[in-house]
Amino acid sequence: MPDRPAQPLAASPSAPAAEAAIDRLQGMADDVRGCAILDPEGAVLAASGPRERWGLAASGLLAAADAAAGEPATEVHVATEEGEAFAVRERGFAIVAAAERFTLASLMLTDMRAVLRGVVRSAPAAEASAARSVARDEA
Amino acid sequence: MAPKPHRVLLDRVSGYADEAVAYLRRRHHTRRPFARVDVAGGHGASHSADDERGRELFRAAAEVIETARERR
Repeated sequence: MPDRPAQPLAASPSAPAAEAAIDRLQGMADDVRGCAILDPEGAVLAASGPRERWGLAASGLLAAADAAAGEPATEVHVATEEGEAFAVRERGFAIVAAAERFTLASLMLTDMRAVLRGVVRSAPAAEASAARSVARDEA
Repeated sequence: MAPKPHRVLLDRVSGYADEAVAYLRRRHHTRRPFARVDVAGGHGASHSADDERGRELFRAAAEVIETARERR
């Protein structure tokens, strides 16, 4: 079997889909200031800004929400004087976003969930595609 | 003399727009910081900044909002 370099997490199967999803969410909602998508291990698949910083901030929000609820949160909405923070979880994946104040929360959460579902749906297909690629290399 | 039909329509649209503007103004004045967390099954609860877990939630949200200021 040929030696294959270890793939960084950014190149994990659903990373391209996550990048596209980030762009799609920002295109859908003008109020979005920034967002990030995390995989089930909490690693950043894509972000609109510095990935390391987004990883810490997004994980922090999800952890705080889990602690506040006493169980894994599926939706989070926090409105502050400076802006609004949202998070949505779907099958372990999570999308976290910051938006302008007074944004329509229900619309934002719906858009986020739709975008995240697209990423979740793409993950198995991408994994299968990667497996086919490895099989071709080995043949 | 009865007003022309298009004037009636314009007045009605203006009335709705005025009501919408007033609603948004009231919403801006009355809306206070808050946090809501939903869990599986559709259950959820609001959290205030009065308790430690609520404070932690607001701190984490502030960090997300601050992070969003930086672009790729």
